[in-house]
Amino acid sequence: MATPNSLAELSRELAQAVETGGAGVVAVHGRPQVPSSGILWRDGIVVTTDHTLKRHEDITITLPNKTTLPATLAGRDPASDIAVLRINENAAPAAKLADEASVKVGNFVLALGRPGEYVTASFGVVSAFGTVRGPGRRLGHIDRLIRPDVCIYLGFSGGALVDAEGRVVGMNTSALGRGAAFTIPASTVSRTIEDLLSQGRIRRGFLGVGLQPVRLPDGRTGLIILSIELDGPASRAGIFVGDVLLSLEGQAVNDTDDVQAHLGGDRIGKPITAEIVRGGAPLSLTVVPGERHAGGPQ
Amino acid sequence: MRGLAEIAERLRRSSVQIIDRGGGGSGIVWDSEGRVLTNSHVLRGDEAHAIDANGQHFRARVVRRNRERDLALLETGRDLKPAMLGDSAALRAGQIVIAIGNPLGVHGAVVCGVVHANGPVGFGFPGNWIQADIRLAPGNSGGLLADAEGRVIGVNTMVFRGLGLAIPSNDAAAFVRYREARAA
Repeated sequence: MATPNSLAELSRELAQAVETGGAGVVAVHGRPQVPSSGILWRDGIVVTTDHTLKRHEDITITLPNKTTLPATLAGRDPASDIAVLRINENAAPAAKLADEASVKVGNFVLALGRPGEYVTASFGVVSAFGTVRGPGRRLGHIDRLIRPDVCIYLGFSGGALVDAEGRVVGMNTSALGRGAAFTIPASTVSRTIEDLLSQGRIRRGFLGVGLQPVRLPDGRTGLIILSIELDGPASRAGIFVGDVLLSLEGQAVNDTDDVQAHLGGDRIGKPITAEIVRGGAPLSLTVVPGERHAGGPQ
Repeated sequence: MRGLAEIAERLRRSSVQIIDRGGGGSGIVWDSEGRVLTNSHVLRGDEAHAIDANGQHFRARVVRRNRERDLALLETGRDLKPAMLGDSAALRAGQIVIAIGNPLGVHGAVVCGVVHANGPVGFGFPGNWIQADIRLAPGNSGGLLADAEGRVIGVNTMVFRGLGLAIPSNDAAAFVRYREARAA
């Protein structure tokens, strides 16, 4: 965007950004009453939010040119709130992605949706980057959430966050942060689409332990094992309740997110070294992560 | 960036505050005869108290109203500066909009946002609406919504699911013209 030197010029450029970005934003009819939004990510592939998709069949898409066509569910990942749909249509232009490294706190952004035939817009700035922390929320697969300072209206989830030139920064969702607006970065969306298309699901590793950060007498921090799943990977490795986990693969673990970082789908079935403290004495064990199924422990 | 402060100041001079028993809101100076357009729901009776941008108090009298479309035209007999009118049909999502009003009694407050959508709202609301991503409050009712060039494109009327809903200025102009056609 050239530097606008009047309010009218900025206004025209924002409207142009809505038009450019909106060409890749579709309506997704997959829930009762009002449709949600989706993004035409590439030829024949639409991405939307998992939480707004209330059925597996009879899903339809309305393109910006107002034609409605059937879509099939190709895969969904509730943990990252991403669902992938296939359509038999290559006519509409796919979303143009923004250069992720260029997106900074304070940049102007527009949240685009299409809860019906027309594109909708709300305006704000990039407020922050970061993950959502708190109980019951495991985002393992998302690199870095974007927190936009925009209002959430009908059709927000599944829509696109675009920069001032209409390029897609990511997919918006209201379900990852207690109703607050968050945007899943485009790189995460792209990677998740490929994983879902090739495997139909996102694989995540698990150890079968309940953990709590603790500080040791020598000042180091670790994670104390509070519970162990029967016959889970940790149980088979000989880890006991009361052990303190200090590191995995030689890297210190200070909170559960650090542990999650070692439990990507590619780690399932591959042994990793765990340094623990038991009764004050250091100990090294080998644990083999299993595959976590929806709703299971860490 | 230049523009917003000057535009807002110009728009404030074409706005009035309306005070009515137990309510009130805002109004738009519509023409050089000093007639003021507002929402019907702002006025219970056919007379109200108004305050212009200079703080001058005066009486305003309802000369026509349409409760269904929620519009009322007032006569003031004052020398007020009329607002410039835009074309609400040309408004696109993403364009910057400015609202002037008296939210919660604050005189001449300026808020800024963008067009969220321009068209039907659904949910049983009849007609077209300018739907704006803007922060409005009680007291903005009847006040102006303008584009980035300071032309009035809507009459702020209500907040629905967080969105500011404004009657398109083209509809408001038709309401005023209808009155003239009938009077002629």
